[in-house]
Amino acid sequence: MAQLPYAIDAETPLNPAELEVLRAQYEKEGDMVGVQTKFNYAWGLVKSNTRTDQHLGLMLLSEIFRTSPERRRECLYYLALGNYKLASYAQARKYNELLLDIEPHNLQAANLQAMIDDKVAKEGLMGVAIASGVVVAAGLVGGVLFRSLGRKR
Amino acid sequence: MADPGHRNAFPDPPSSPEDESSVISTRGLEAFGRKVTTTASHLMAPLGDPTGHPHYQTAMSEVSKQLRRPALQRSVFSMARTTPTDLVRSKLSSKEIQSRALSYVPDEMLKNIPEDDNAYSLFQGFQASFPEFVDDTKDGKKHRRRVSRGRKLLEETHTAPDSPHAVHKLRKEKAAMMHQLEMMSIRKNMASSEIREIDNKLANLAGMRRIILERLGGLEQEEALLEHEIIEVESRLEDAQELADEVESIALQTPTKSDDDDVESEGGDTAGFMSQSIYEKLPSVSGTPSRTKKPRNVRRKSMPIRHEHFEPGSMIRSMRAHQDSITALDFDAPFGLMVSAAMDDSVRVWDLNAGRCIGMLEGHTASVRTLQVEDNILATGSMDATIRLWDLSKAHYDPQGSQFGKDDEDDGIAFENPEDQPVDPPAGSMADCPLFTLNSHLAEITALHFRGNVLVSGSADKTIRQWDLERGRCVQTLDVMWAAAQSSALSAGDSTWRPTSHPTDPSADFVGALQVFESALACGTADGMVRLWDLRSGQVHRSLVGHTGPVTCLQFDDVHLVTASLDRSYRIWDLRNGTLSDAWAYTNPITSMMFDTRRIVCAAGEDVVKVYDKLDGRHWDCGAGITEAEEGKTPAVVERVRIRDGYMVEGRRDGMVGVWTC
Repeated sequence: MAQLPYAIDAETPLNPAELEVLRAQYEKEGDMVGVQTKFNYAWGLVKSNTRTDQHLGLMLLSEIFRTSPERRRECLYYLALGNYKLASYAQARKYNELLLDIEPHNLQAANLQAMIDDKVAKEGLMGVAIASGVVVAAGLVGGVLFRSLGRKR
Repeated sequence: MADPGHRNAFPDPPSSPEDESSVISTRGLEAFGRKVTTTASHLMAPLGDPTGHPHYQTAMSEVSKQLRRPALQRSVFSMARTTPTDLVRSKLSSKEIQSRALSYVPDEMLKNIPEDDNAYSLFQGFQASFPEFVDDTKDGKKHRRRVSRGRKLLEETHTAPDSPHAVHKLRKEKAAMMHQLEMMSIRKNMASSEIREIDNKLANLAGMRRIILERLGGLEQEEALLEHEIIEVESRLEDAQELADEVESIALQTPTKSDDDDVESEGGDTAGFMSQSIYEKLPSVSGTPSRTKKPRNVRRKSMPIRHEHFEPGSMIRSMRAHQDSITALDFDAPFGLMVSAAMDDSVRVWDLNAGRCIGMLEGHTASVRTLQVEDNILATGSMDATIRLWDLSKAHYDPQGSQFGKDDEDDGIAFENPEDQPVDPPAGSMADCPLFTLNSHLAEITALHFRGNVLVSGSADKTIRQWDLERGRCVQTLDVMWAAAQSSALSAGDSTWRPTSHPTDPSADFVGALQVFESALACGTADGMVRLWDLRSGQVHRSLVGHTGPVTCLQFDDVHLVTASLDRSYRIWDLRNGTLSDAWAYTNPITSMMFDTRRIVCAAGEDVVKVYDKLDGRHWDCGAGITEAEEGKTPAVVERVRIRDGYMVEGRRDGMVGVWTC
């Protein structure tokens, strides 16, 4: 399965007119929408920068996953990618690892795995920084309060 | 105070480099968050309360323990499943939780990931279908996508000397074309796989349709059973009501007696005598309802619609109704009651829904030539010159028919499954059905029709009689020969009685067909004439000339009159101006014809029924001749055909009856 986009591709949004074309195509086919059309729209949505679009895209991808078993393997990658874009790294990792289990030599999946790890590490540090900042602030406030109380006493 | 101590004990992660690089697992982080909250609450609530301090201290020490984990490396941290922001979001934002639920994929599906053998990947499909979409925005995505491929070539082109320039250009062109070719093949694959997808969907839908059609059949079966039960309960209720009413009226008539009864109940003998005198009356009263029972007009409460969903021309049922040629048949509604008569002098009543014979109608001493069923009332006209009327709602019939024995006479070969085999109706099942007999005609009855309380009958004695069904008496006799002579005397036109140009078929009925509507009567006779009578004056007010052979069948609605004849044609007349609006001919004489809102069906001496679709303007054949020809069988010629609401019943010369949709 060499024909997968790299994660970078997901970061370049389509212009609204293009997305509109995909949406129109998707809606035109109604209930009997084909897998390809659904995917086209979903992929266009995942590439978008707005979170609501990405959520919708992910929903469509999971629909494809559920309804067409022959596309599951590919879909794993897109689900991972979509979750990665949504910053749900736990989910992204889950899907990507599943795919890597099946296809250990998948370059795109390996690439995505590295990117997830990277993101988790960075954001994790930031999170620790924020958390510790909160703790410091709390400590400071507490200290000031205690001190003023002590002074009153 | 302890305050400074607290402050000192409070860990300050950013200040210590060791802590900054330290890493906490997800679980650690959660615990951390929990501890921060406890700490905060301790700090806020019990200010200055010494009991709070130990708690606070333990909490703090735990926090610091957590944070002072042995120097954890970045690599270890990267093993964390997720980041704090993600964790917070996924737990707190309802919108995120909702979308997570929507895009949730069950684990068993994750385990079931088949080998993929697709000709192209979804992404390739995306790429391939994309150029189509962006034709209007050429400078947009398409350009950008090609750039990576084109850039190298472009650079080379610019730096290259003039001689290889052309080569490069050509090469570039070739690459572009190869790319296009590749895309083309992907698009081709896409199209073919889409077709396959649609085929699968169609197959699925067809399967669903079949299942639902079966369900519909089951529902209608149940509906029919329930309806039958309702009718039974209704009749019981009616009887009970009548009984109760009569008892009440008697009680009202004898109030003093019943009072006496109450008073003297202690005084043994007299009381017994009095009450006995009252009760003696009751049996005679209870006997009356059965005598006074009026012929009920039981209408079906529900209309089966199953046949509308079948493919036109498909067989619903086929049964061996008689051992001899069918001479007449009619049914009241799709999947309702059918009555068939044959040369073997028998008349049978059938439940079309179950395909079972309900009973035999005994009474005629010769074979029945014509019959009509309308709302449970059946009229039969026989060779024995009598017309009999029957009330089919009085039949003792259990739709489930479990207590019936198997019928030895019927071979059952034509039935789809054994449980559909006809069963012998119980002997007395039709005992209550006969209403009365009309016997003024002098020769065999060849045609009859009734509507409401008016029945008209045509006989080989060359007369048409009009009957009042309420009183069961002949109201008027119309002499066809006299009318013909009359009109010839008046106009000397072509409306005289004239022998047909064809050698007259001796077997042809003098009055071939009749239909009545209030005071209008249409009659087709052996001379090929169709006469329209006014029953109020008893005069022919219009004659339709055209058929060159005996008329065998006619039917009219509010605009058109359709007549069929042994001259092999049927004609459609416009009743408003009395002109011929259409005519069709087949290869054999037409023995039976009927139309509903959409189709005209004819039995024209073939093993199929000729159908003319008025809406499509299409002629086609429907019947056993088509389906059984494939199996190498030659079914008998269709003699009689009836159609109502696209539900067609045909009777053949070998006694078989087929039910079809068209």
